[in-house]
Amino acid sequence: MSAVWSPLLPLAMVGTDRHASALPAWPGDVGQLVAQVGSSGDSAASGALRVAAVLATCALAGAQGGEWTTPLPAGASHDSLLELPEGPIRAAVSWALQDGPLRLQHAVFTTLAQGGYRLPLNLLAQALDLGRRTVLFRPLLLSVLGERGLWLASHRDEWRYAAGVSAEEPDDARWNEGSFEQRRAFLQRERAADPQAARERLAQGLDELSAKERADLVAVLAEGLGPDDEPLLDKLLADRSREVRQAACVQLLRLPEAAHTQRAIGRLAPLLASERVLLRQQWKIDAPPAATPDWKADNLDPARPKYESLGERAWWLHQLVRQVPLAWWTQHTGLSAAELLRWAAGTDWTEALLRGWRDVLLAAPDTAWCEAFLDPWPATVLRDDPASVLALLPPALRERHWQRQLVDGSVAFHVMVPQMLHACRAGETLSLPLSVTLVDVICQRAESGVLSDDHALRSVLLELCATLHADVLDRMARLPRHADETASFADTLHAVTHVIGVRQALFQLTTKLTPERMIPETP
Amino acid sequence: MMLTMEEVLALAPDDASAKAARGLAKPTQWPLLGSDDAAAWGECQGSGAKPYQTQVDLSGPAFKCSCPSRKFPCKHGLALLMMRAQEPQLFTVASSPAWVSEWLASRTEKAQKKEERQVEKAATPVDPLQAAKREGQRWQRIEGAASELTRWLADQIARGLGSLNAEALQSWSTMAARMVDAQAPGLGFRVREAAVGIHRGADWPEQTLQRFGMLHLLCEAVQRRERLTPAVQADLRAAVGWPHDRAEVLSSSAALADRWTVLGVATEERDDKLTERRVWLHGQQSGRRALVLDHAFGGRGFEQAWVPGCTVDTALSFFPGAAALRALSADAPAIAGPAHWPHAPLSTEWDGIAGRVSACPWTALHPLVVRQAVVVRTDGRLLAVAEGRALSLVVGDADQWQLLASTGGHVCELMGEWDGQVLKPLTAWAEGQPSPLWQRSAA
Repeated sequence: MSAVWSPLLPLAMVGTDRHASALPAWPGDVGQLVAQVGSSGDSAASGALRVAAVLATCALAGAQGGEWTTPLPAGASHDSLLELPEGPIRAAVSWALQDGPLRLQHAVFTTLAQGGYRLPLNLLAQALDLGRRTVLFRPLLLSVLGERGLWLASHRDEWRYAAGVSAEEPDDARWNEGSFEQRRAFLQRERAADPQAARERLAQGLDELSAKERADLVAVLAEGLGPDDEPLLDKLLADRSREVRQAACVQLLRLPEAAHTQRAIGRLAPLLASERVLLRQQWKIDAPPAATPDWKADNLDPARPKYESLGERAWWLHQLVRQVPLAWWTQHTGLSAAELLRWAAGTDWTEALLRGWRDVLLAAPDTAWCEAFLDPWPATVLRDDPASVLALLPPALRERHWQRQLVDGSVAFHVMVPQMLHACRAGETLSLPLSVTLVDVICQRAESGVLSDDHALRSVLLELCATLHADVLDRMARLPRHADETASFADTLHAVTHVIGVRQALFQLTTKLTPERMIPETP
Repeated sequence: MMLTMEEVLALAPDDASAKAARGLAKPTQWPLLGSDDAAAWGECQGSGAKPYQTQVDLSGPAFKCSCPSRKFPCKHGLALLMMRAQEPQLFTVASSPAWVSEWLASRTEKAQKKEERQVEKAATPVDPLQAAKREGQRWQRIEGAASELTRWLADQIARGLGSLNAEALQSWSTMAARMVDAQAPGLGFRVREAAVGIHRGADWPEQTLQRFGMLHLLCEAVQRRERLTPAVQADLRAAVGWPHDRAEVLSSSAALADRWTVLGVATEERDDKLTERRVWLHGQQSGRRALVLDHAFGGRGFEQAWVPGCTVDTALSFFPGAAALRALSADAPAIAGPAHWPHAPLSTEWDGIAGRVSACPWTALHPLVVRQAVVVRTDGRLLAVAEGRALSLVVGDADQWQLLASTGGHVCELMGEWDGQVLKPLTAWAEGQPSPLWQRSAA
């Protein structure tokens, strides 16, 4: 409100009964009118009200906002990315962002990024919100937000992840001034092209990075990891953040000659001994009798967590096992991965060994070990499902495993499908043979009415539609329907047709792309 | 009449309906689709065995659907128009089935009957003496209420606003209720509004003084009513909450036929499921601004469809009054094409507002078109900057980001409702472009 009211405020706040002074004066024509009407009231209060009436009317008639004297902030730069064509693709993208499953949203962002398209303006805020909730989308979003989206992101704290520098800026500016996502994407590209330069850049930037950022960027070193990276990783083993220390340990596991790995082997080897039982040579393992003071320096944690299912010594053994590469076990014992797993099951330390190996496997994948773990999955010892290990296998091997399960029926269909989805990274699709088998089963269940009551399967049906091979989508769109189906099931099937519609619209968009319009996928 | 996708979306009673309709706008859901010059119709497969029969009278557009939804228009009607906008070739059936032609016939019949009733009513002589007596009695009650309110306002100022507490504010509610009892709900509303503003925001004393000033002016004007011009008397009547009869408005003033640009539409949910819709128009030939104000109850739709960002041909009858802003259209407005936006300089807009305020200070909202504006977000506030002035913008959170995304910090043309302090933006467009960049969603 303007200062025009200030002279009247003391009178109005204290009250004319107690504030006996005369009405204040205002300049100009308004002041003359105020003086005229203010003195003509029956009482001081009524005079003040008449003054307020004049001021209110004049303020309303003359209000023109406040003054703006500073330069205007910069607007969004011109967008060089293509505008999404008008037509069904826009409605499809809009539906996917609003109601589609995560994988479909991922597919939308990937397809747009590959085609060099930007998101329509009306979807920018929604897309930025999706990126806020789902970190996986962030690198993709940077490619499809366009200049307008990056500019918009700079206006809201929750969207800062995308509020970096313009995509048109040179690389150095993207590292020095960009958002975290931009910096990571830049470092990944540099690492692929020149591992040493990327390592040095990271080493120099460590001081100004937060713990979470340090841990995230250490993972970038996985690309082209070599002995030259050891000094930096060793330095990071002493980082003040536990998360960063663990990230460094994970990378060191993949360097068998590294001093840290050799120390880990040195601790474990004396616990594993070969002894002769009757006529056979047999391996025997024991847990460490005590933790030694040098453990802490190598990120071994002697204190057993409160809710840990392992006993104290088993916990220590587990700690040692998870720092030793899997290859050492097979070389040292001469046993295969499958034989080692069978052997571990017969020891007193099964859980400590299996959990330790599983952790190492996730950090440094190995097909033979994955196959050994999955045949069959030691469900009683490892309480999580096998999806994370399945995800490490090449798709063909992974699918062979599922095809086998579909034939022998060892795992219920509604349990297997979520495992498949968990194992398939966003952007991956299932092969045609497996997709055909899955759609066969789903069609049978829809036909017999079982699908309608199978809520576990229904809850992943949309994600599955986003993952199936493109050639089976037409069949999925024509699932058998029943006249008496419930409204909620009808909604599910309706959403299924939507997911399929979006995927088909994306295919059409992709087929429109001529080779010169394709741009390489952002790493 | 062919509506675009945006125009159809503007007809949705709320965002949820628009969203649901988008989901239904798929040919696979519609075993039957047809249209002719008068109507579009279709059968939509819902969750039940029998498909819903959805039909749209394109002259309105008016909707009918056999679904049980209480929303109006329902998602099926909206989806039907969306598909017609996007894929008109799907509407293959050209001869309307019985359920469509019967409905259209009944609509025509109803319209005829309504017209006949109006003619009949106009022909029935009203006893002028009786009417004048009734009117006199009501004015008497209002005058009594106004003089009571004048004394009460003076009491508040005499005691001082600084001493107000929750107990004292109780008497404000009582006073508001007394105004309603005295058939002056407009006065009651202003008292309640002043009570709500107490202790709210750092500038509440100034705001309260301004509201008191306006109320006092209104009360004094009621007491001097006889000496005011008929136009100001009419404004006064509207301001105290005694609206003019729509039929009276239609019959008493000559309708102004023009090609109107729908500048913006504000739809807001009031208390008790009442939805208020304010349609702001600009006459392309006459240069007149107009407000078409409607209310709908319980999710029911509005009789007339006004699509923001397009041009309509219609004749408007203005309510009597010096401000001459509020108007109504006897006939359904016919969409004539894309918008033809006004482009007067900002100074002309301010002059128009000042003129309207001087004619009728109680006009709460003024249409304002800000040319060459830049929407800026600074320190958590949204502003429209133009010609060295910054107007505070008040808009919902989602709309705020959409407005920023659409304008991108570049120059745009902005239309909104100005209350003397803040601008509630309704539409933004780029100079020379008929279709809007952004429209406020239904609140």
